[in-house]
Amino acid sequence: MAKVLFEWDYASYPGAKAYPNLFKPIQLGNLMVPNRIKYAATEDNLNDHNGFITDADIAYMRSRAEGVVGGLCFMQGVYMDEARKGQGYVGQAACWDDKYVDGLRRIADAIHSEKAIAGFQLMDCGRVGAVEVESGHGPSTVPQRLRIFKPMFEMTNAEVKEMVRQHVDAARRGVEAGFDVMEISGIVGYLISNFLSSYTNRRTDEYGGDIRGRCQAMMEIIQGVKEVCGPDIPVGIRLCSEELLNDVRGNTPEESMETYRMAEEAGADYISCTLGWQESIYPVISRDIPQGNWLYLAKRAKEHVKIPIQMAYRLFTPDKPDKAIGDGELDFWEMCRSMIADPLMPKKVLEGREEDIRHCVACNLCLARLFRDAPMTCYINPRCAHEHDDNFTPKPVEDPKEIMIVGAGPSGMECAYVAAQRGHEVHLYDKRSEVGGTLLEASHAPYGDEELMTCVNYQKTMCEKAGVNFHLGEEVTEQLIADEMPDSVVLATGPFYPQIEGAAGRDNVVNVLDVMNGKAQVGDTVVVYGNRKPGIGVALFLAKQGKKVTLVGREKTAGFDVNPSFKWRYMIYLKQNGVMAYNDCDIEAINDGEIIVKTFDGYRFPVACDTVVVSEREANESLKKTVQSEGIELFVIGDALVPRNLSSAVHDGYRIGLRI
Amino acid sequence: MPVNAEKEITKLWRDLHSAQAEICKTYYRWREVAVAVAGPDMKPMDIALKAAEMMGKDMGKSLLPRLNWLKGEEAFLMNLGRALAGTWVTEGALAAAEKGEKPGEVFIRCTRCPWPTAAKEFGVPMEEVALTRERLFQSMLQDVSVFFNIPLKIEMLKAIPRGEGEYLLRLSKEEG
Repeated sequence: MAKVLFEWDYASYPGAKAYPNLFKPIQLGNLMVPNRIKYAATEDNLNDHNGFITDADIAYMRSRAEGVVGGLCFMQGVYMDEARKGQGYVGQAACWDDKYVDGLRRIADAIHSEKAIAGFQLMDCGRVGAVEVESGHGPSTVPQRLRIFKPMFEMTNAEVKEMVRQHVDAARRGVEAGFDVMEISGIVGYLISNFLSSYTNRRTDEYGGDIRGRCQAMMEIIQGVKEVCGPDIPVGIRLCSEELLNDVRGNTPEESMETYRMAEEAGADYISCTLGWQESIYPVISRDIPQGNWLYLAKRAKEHVKIPIQMAYRLFTPDKPDKAIGDGELDFWEMCRSMIADPLMPKKVLEGREEDIRHCVACNLCLARLFRDAPMTCYINPRCAHEHDDNFTPKPVEDPKEIMIVGAGPSGMECAYVAAQRGHEVHLYDKRSEVGGTLLEASHAPYGDEELMTCVNYQKTMCEKAGVNFHLGEEVTEQLIADEMPDSVVLATGPFYPQIEGAAGRDNVVNVLDVMNGKAQVGDTVVVYGNRKPGIGVALFLAKQGKKVTLVGREKTAGFDVNPSFKWRYMIYLKQNGVMAYNDCDIEAINDGEIIVKTFDGYRFPVACDTVVVSEREANESLKKTVQSEGIELFVIGDALVPRNLSSAVHDGYRIGLRI
Repeated sequence: MPVNAEKEITKLWRDLHSAQAEICKTYYRWREVAVAVAGPDMKPMDIALKAAEMMGKDMGKSLLPRLNWLKGEEAFLMNLGRALAGTWVTEGALAAAEKGEKPGEVFIRCTRCPWPTAAKEFGVPMEEVALTRERLFQSMLQDVSVFFNIPLKIEMLKAIPRGEGEYLLRLSKEEG
């Protein structure tokens, strides 16, 4: 008889009817899990730099535990060595001593308080570790490809055995702390994956050699951890189904499947199926990869092992995992970034409130932050990592105001629903007949940017539910402000697109928005002025139509405002589409059939073109003076304040919505 | 104002060559500092070879993200040869990689090099110029060899500073 931790009955919920496969129980080892949902272990850099758990991390975990509605909720992977070679993130939780157990227990308790199953993960970061020390450890001394990583030195045979013992000791502490499931991380370049890979393991002792030898450390860890966990705590492992390291002679897919078989043989109760390393040169999880793209790997894994298979990558909506589970190609829907963006996502699915989900836009800002030693944050969820901070929770107002918000883009809408939820009377104006602001155009850019509209859809729903009054197709004028005389005005009008010198009277100088929505005529040879994200978006949009595109911009690098974990994709796409980028440059003159580019240090050269697309933006000053002259409380947010990106717009809107 | 292409290119070309000359001079200025600091008991040649070793090691690191095994051993070696020649070109040389007669062999030929000229200005022996180039490339290959798990070697067959008219280096896989 399998162990049941919490009783859940989903029968009466609409989500259980719509997605029956997601809300049916499954046995992991000797533990009955009531559904197929898992919040996967995710670093958040919220803990203190000595590895102790903080209130911020507990609050973060509690909200995700609520979201999994009885499913698996994993805390971040813990490092296990006092020397800190295995530590990959400055705020990573530690577990190399009993002194950490009390803090870890607080996380387990927080997860249990939401009737969810608490998962514990063991994670020595190996090749991407040693974040706080001078050098790391690995199976062999293989140089790092990127300078940001610390040098790795080969572990002695005794050190490998010690590392196995550290995993077992940490697992014992996890059990003491009250966790229900134990997981070993063997992915993306962390230590166990280093042992498994032919790229990083060149050992000649029992921990190296052929794939079976390279699996030896993993098998010893699984067996040791199983022993301390006992029969009632399942032990799983995360393993790469494909390393995507063929450029550096990594494992073949067949070898990866062999690691799955060996893990099963060692006694693993489930495998979490992943792909790619942090060093891989292929995109895996950014939004240019279609949803459900990697499900075939879960299916392949199930053909090789009998234990349950879990998978996360690019499964942001419940339909695909539900179908895959129904088809026997997957057993668990893992989520990581989806639940960073919306911690209650699966709960909303269960309750039939899918329109209330704030979807992840797969920008990888969360990763970029972690790699730069900053606390977790989310591009589109302003509350992420602030769950513990009461100031980030909307509170009812004592003195409701009448608020006029000008602009129904992501910034204005975010502000509108938050303010309305707090009890203000909110009037949202936009001269266009639909909401979305410049995202309406931005979402036309190729490589998955249509997913940006999920943000607009969510905000629109929230506004409707909060009772925001929409005034679409109505332009706000000085007269309207004088007539309405609201208590507060929020200007979320989007940016101002300045005219470039020499453009006057030329009909071949067009605005980025007009290009993206098809209103402007564009020739075959185009110069895009502005090398930030809007410029890149329109350049790729036009290049995809077969046009010859040149990007000219003042920033030192193209995509200066794109987070580094996504920017590399754009650089590759620009190259693939033949877009030449002249960065650190300006347009000096526009002549017939050409522009003159001037470099930052004064060199000048002509670039042939028949159309110039202006994507450079400035703050929007319109209506500001009018509002101020009327003595009305004024807030300026989003690109109207400083042209930036979607994230800044959403975060601005949320914070002003809280403050107003 | 219309662009005068000749004027713009001339300016760029001059600035590039000035920068390349400055690279060589800066290196030899630093060499003088190191020799002075090291004192009379230390041979300048040893200092120069140590510098080549350390610089090569660091330059080799920057090759790692740019090399891959996707097209097999032959293409990998050719790309590596091109990368080595490319670093030389950046310094102001005329250098290129050529396919060897045997498989697993690439030649790097340099017919014009700014280093001997700069070395003369600072009174540096020509043999040192030749040996530091060889040591620099050997050190660049160290991490590449380990990273790709393929033992590589490079040997100098000819050198301009030795009066042989050109540099010729043979890049190959170390025989097991």
